[in-house]
Amino acid sequence: METAFRKIDIDKYDEEVLRDEDLYDADPRDPGQVLEEARQRQAAVRSSLAKNDTAGALAVILDNAPYGPNVDEAKQITLSTLLTILNSTKATEITSVIKALTPDAQDTLMKYIYKGMAMPGWGDISGSVLLGWHEKLTEVAGVGSIVRAITDRRIV
Amino acid sequence: MPPEVFTLAQIPITAHAFSANRKELAASLNSNDVRLYTRNGSEWTPTETLSEHDKLITSIDWAPRSNRIVTASQDRNAYVWTETPDPESGKLIWKPTLVLLRINRAATHVRWSPLENKFAVASGARAIAVCSFDEESNWWVAKHIKKPIRSTVLSVDWHPNNVLLAAGSADMKARVFSGYIKEVDERPAPSVWGSKLPFNTVCGEFSSPAGGWVHAVGFSPSGDILAFASHDSSITVVYPSGPAIFTIRLPSLPLVALSWISEESIVAAGHDCKPLVYAGSEQGWQEVGTLDDASSSKASEGPRSGFGGSGGVGRLKTGAFATFRDADTRGQSTLGGASSVSSDTKLNTIHQNTITSVRPYEEHGGYVTKVSTTGVDGTLVIWDTNEVSTLTGKMGGVRI
Repeated sequence: METAFRKIDIDKYDEEVLRDEDLYDADPRDPGQVLEEARQRQAAVRSSLAKNDTAGALAVILDNAPYGPNVDEAKQITLSTLLTILNSTKATEITSVIKALTPDAQDTLMKYIYKGMAMPGWGDISGSVLLGWHEKLTEVAGVGSIVRAITDRRIV
Repeated sequence: MPPEVFTLAQIPITAHAFSANRKELAASLNSNDVRLYTRNGSEWTPTETLSEHDKLITSIDWAPRSNRIVTASQDRNAYVWTETPDPESGKLIWKPTLVLLRINRAATHVRWSPLENKFAVASGARAIAVCSFDEESNWWVAKHIKKPIRSTVLSVDWHPNNVLLAAGSADMKARVFSGYIKEVDERPAPSVWGSKLPFNTVCGEFSSPAGGWVHAVGFSPSGDILAFASHDSSITVVYPSGPAIFTIRLPSLPLVALSWISEESIVAAGHDCKPLVYAGSEQGWQEVGTLDDASSSKASEGPRSGFGGSGGVGRLKTGAFATFRDADTRGQSTLGGASSVSSDTKLNTIHQNTITSVRPYEEHGGYVTKVSTTGVDGTLVIWDTNEVSTLTGKMGGVRI
């Protein structure tokens, strides 16, 4: 039986097709700039962590996080930087660190926690760390934050 | 006054609407039929069934002055029902008139305009059909608002001037359109939304804060403020004249329906099964509490826990979560008994499932004193909007 027709991209022929990009406002920055900013943030986080300022480091990395297409490298840098912060935070400090974040940053953090959990082998991080952060973050920001992380098309 | 609770069915109520005198109720019980009820003291008795649609009815609206019912359905049709005497028996019966909507997807929501000479039908065809009556051909005709809608329209609401129309859509935006129809409308006075308003003018477009599709939209009583609730667990209030936009991020599950009760307050409800009250002004908006006072309803039915046990924040720890955790860490597979976890699956709220519709029920001096809600649990509840209890107070009560 002829099955090649199944591989035809029929959306190409639909003038009214709804694309992912139609569902959110694109990042105004160009990909090169986003990557540059991600690298700068990585450096800023390192110096914050050296000063033991976890809350500050988190706020830096979660502000203006890269999203959308064509910024995969910046996303990767941001994620690994963020996971470093999560890993190096003491369990007893997590709640106070989360409370210091803005609601926006809390939602972004939730997105990254889910992204981390979605990665094969969970990145380089042990499961209990992400789950611990998830639990504490849900206590502070509520299940609404999970709903926002799942609904938002601005995928980090 | 405590809320009045009526269990109409054990199946979801997809839509409900009251007659002007609030003695009759039209409801759709997740089916192709509309059922009419008459109030008998503290009961609603089924009287008639309106059958004409051949797919699920999604929305019902009852025009208070002209006493006409309009229904929208997934069969892509709308019917206007008028009560007319039967030529043979002389008995009053509800007679349907088909509306030519010309849409190729389900109709999702319908609302009469304030003057009752038009109604708007939202649909999955990325369009809103604005319908008016054509005297010459004795027929309801539709005009489409299409641009720039990118996805299913989930809700519509009319501005008091009978021309402007708010729409919430699955393309994550709430918009304000002009639904001006030359043949039936007088030119509207300029408002905060604009002065030149030919049909399909986009007077405002607002994105949901974190990319959630917009479930519900509503104009304030004056029409100068717009509120919308979206699936990113947020409610947004827009002052176009400011312009000022206030967003409240909920710690709990998304709201799917809302109703203004005054120029400064809104009742909204959804997946958390309890109506919440928001209040504010051009200076800012905040949640003030809920109409579902758990502590008083608890007194009569004993302590309850479960999913709704402790409001939004931190509630993962209660109910089902605790059950699974105990099963995992302590090997406790049975519920109740010595365990601190209650086996009760009853929610701590009056509605036992998602509330899908909130409508004004009684007004007093421009202030809505009562609202009605229906939901997936088949229950109709009429709430007194003055009975607001704060959530923090309620949580305190739960801990004791």
